[in-house]
Amino acid sequence: MKTKKWLGILSSVGLPLLFGVVIFVLWQTQVLHSWLGTDTITLPLPTRISEIISQNKDSIGSQVKMTLIVALGGLAAGSVMGYLIAVVASIFRKWGAGGLTIVSAFNAIPIVALAPVINNWTRDVSNDVSVRSTLAKIIVVTISCTAAMSVNAFRGLTELKPFSEDLMTSYAAPKIVVFTKLRLPNSLPYVFTALRVSVPASVIGALVTEYFAEDTVGVGRQIRENIVKGQYPTAWAYIATACAIGIGMYIILMLVERMVLKRRRA
Amino acid sequence: MTTAKKARKGPLPALKRFIHSKHMVTLVWILGIVVIWEIFACIVAATKRTPVNVLPHLYEIIGSFFSDKKVTGKMTMIELIGTACGETLSRAGIGFLTGIVLGYILALLMNLSRVVEKIAFPYLMIIQMIPILGMAPIILSITGDINSARVVIAAILTFYPVSTNVLAGFRSVEREKHELMYSYAANKFQLYTKTLIPACIPYFFTGLKISAPMAITASILVDTLQGGNGLGCMLSQSLKGGMTRLVFWDIVLISAIIGILSFVLMGLIERILCPYKRNKTSD
Repeated sequence: MKTKKWLGILSSVGLPLLFGVVIFVLWQTQVLHSWLGTDTITLPLPTRISEIISQNKDSIGSQVKMTLIVALGGLAAGSVMGYLIAVVASIFRKWGAGGLTIVSAFNAIPIVALAPVINNWTRDVSNDVSVRSTLAKIIVVTISCTAAMSVNAFRGLTELKPFSEDLMTSYAAPKIVVFTKLRLPNSLPYVFTALRVSVPASVIGALVTEYFAEDTVGVGRQIRENIVKGQYPTAWAYIATACAIGIGMYIILMLVERMVLKRRRA
Repeated sequence: MTTAKKARKGPLPALKRFIHSKHMVTLVWILGIVVIWEIFACIVAATKRTPVNVLPHLYEIIGSFFSDKKVTGKMTMIELIGTACGETLSRAGIGFLTGIVLGYILALLMNLSRVVEKIAFPYLMIIQMIPILGMAPIILSITGDINSARVVIAAILTFYPVSTNVLAGFRSVEREKHELMYSYAANKFQLYTKTLIPACIPYFFTGLKISAPMAITASILVDTLQGGNGLGCMLSQSLKGGMTRLVFWDIVLISAIIGILSFVLMGLIERILCPYKRNKTSD
């Protein structure tokens, strides 16, 4: 029985790893290039990309910082705003549910259309290009993170265990106590469901708004600038960095989720 | 029902029902947003030198859309945006369909074979965390052609939500149903066509609702990277001052509407294809 379990773990780690290695080998030996009909200039070898990354550690690091400020700032603002909207919507149930439909409709608006508009709006905020452009980017990410949080948190605040609300009424609990003791803890898992959507969305939002920002900083902008300049290996280095940011933030989220929800269960 | 009761309900029960319905709530919200937009537009018009750049009135935007003034050499606004829309949407559509087919096939394969699942599932997870849209420029330079880049990116973005959701749909089928099919001596093909595939339809549409707006976003984004006639190209040309600023606002409005409509359309198709689900959601 035990060996069977180990075999299972081995195959579920080993098989994907093997697949990854196969892709790596195909890439490195340029078989992949002939399949995609491209060359080593547009699609540099993995070794070349990692070389570039290690050579430009400092400059990549500073771009990552700019992107992270935007992504995390927007994620935090959007999540807080989404949760507050959900709380208000759960108090005024009928009108709130309709409002949430509108909020989720906002989610379907392409970021591409949003970014230039927000850029125009923040033009007068500050004379410093980097301040106003960072603010504009954060607002775009905020908008793209709000909907997921508000829809999910609303469900968490309203879909309670059967009779738990009646139990609270029988205790003659005031509304605020019902909120802190019942609704708030009940919504926690839903908050994490929302974050699983909005964490990747915040990274994508940050990268894409950088394309349209006045200030030419950030990982996303560097990808574009380097491609325009024809420096594909550098562009690929930034793409690898962008993927690392996305995966890293998701892993952190998973760890936090496991920690928080475990403590809650205990 | 007695006539007295009917009379008490008022002369226009249909209208009354509408006022108390969910649609009314949504309508009031939309009106509220329009009002807020107009208030800000008035403030902007009074204080800014170039209000068109910041926030024009809604009627200006809509008016410009239907006016027959020529924007470029020979096209009016509606023709211009119509062709751009067609260009962008057709590419997004092709990519979307390709993504659906590939995603569905992968989910099927993953459900049929443990080995395929073990290989592909971790990568499906990772691809969700990777900002594909951020890679748009490089995909453009690999494919070398803006049209195929649009198709490829839209397909990738459609592919994984469809795949993960369909797989979850296959997995949602209870053990009893599997046992029932086994007791009927159903073969694998029958098992799939009679139980698993019908069961995954709601999940399939959840995937489509996520990916349809994303496919359109992707298509517009790729447009902005290079010249051509898509919506995104018009958007960036207008931002650079090649056309009037109202073109920009028209496109923002249109792309928002297309994004929302694509979501609504998927819900509509779902309701047509599986009307039995409606009873479930209504209670």
